[in-house]
Amino acid sequence: MAVCVALRSFDPAIAGVRRVTFADAVRDYQEEVFGAALRITGDRESALDVASTTFLKAYRAFSRYDQTRPIRHWLLRIATNEAISHARRRSRELRRRVDVESGAEIVDGAAAPEEASVAREARARIRAAVVGLPELYRVVIVLRYFNDLSVDEIAKITGRPPSTVGVQLLRGRALLRQALGDAQ
Amino acid sequence: MSPLENEPGLFAEAELRRALRLDAAELPPRLDAAALVARMREGPSVAVASLVSAMLAVASAAGLIVGVTIALTAIAPELLADGYGLALGLVAATAIPITGFLETFEQPTIPIAALAAVMFAIAYEYGQRKERTNAIHTP
Repeated sequence: MAVCVALRSFDPAIAGVRRVTFADAVRDYQEEVFGAALRITGDRESALDVASTTFLKAYRAFSRYDQTRPIRHWLLRIATNEAISHARRRSRELRRRVDVESGAEIVDGAAAPEEASVAREARARIRAAVVGLPELYRVVIVLRYFNDLSVDEIAKITGRPPSTVGVQLLRGRALLRQALGDAQ
Repeated sequence: MSPLENEPGLFAEAELRRALRLDAAELPPRLDAAALVARMREGPSVAVASLVSAMLAVASAAGLIVGVTIALTAIAPELLADGYGLALGLVAATAIPITGFLETFEQPTIPIAALAAVMFAIAYEYGQRKERTNAIHTP
């Protein structure tokens, strides 16, 4: 009962704007938040952690959230920041444990080794290459090609100028091309 | 499609989009908003526990510091006295052998000037030999 009251209490600040409750946000964007986290961290468990942390943080700050702005961008900003921090922490931990095999795991924890089809293998290689990109490029590549956001939207989410985002997208694609050679 | 879609040297956008799409096997278990809120509500109890634990730790540390300070204040004069006695003992222990050594120089029978002259001669001779050796080995 108390939970229902809490969920209902998030009224939009401005009349006329579609009322978005926390429950709506979780239902509508959990897949997108999880997917962005998965493509940034390259690890399913980390992505699940990031997704739930993102929504917990969103819940805490929901009353302060400006409902005139797209909630999707707000959630993706929290998610990308969380995913980057998570990926950093995880790679530090794995580096402490040191061993080359676990290094390979960081790059592609999600890819199943027994994938039979060539197309699947190619996709796994591309995903691994994306996870291997420097985070500066990884975030913009994921937001552009996984979340389908425009350069301006990515600029708002990351707080970088649109021209910088454009350059980073091109540079990221060039790095992917280098990493994957002529396999594409 | 952007004008740079198939630019040579850049990875193809369409392929990147296809590759990054979530597979059915990758889809996450559904998150339940109510469960998240419930989990959030559990937070404060952990926070309170950690606050209480931190306060206890601070109180213990403060008690320890106060105890050590009181103890030190109580035994400081004795420690100082002991330290002074120890220092005096050390001075005495070193002064006795040194006194004996110094007394030998006060003996008029020992020709100190002659000893110094012999040591100077030895040092001079050693220096000369070194120079000769260097001269022989230098091409």
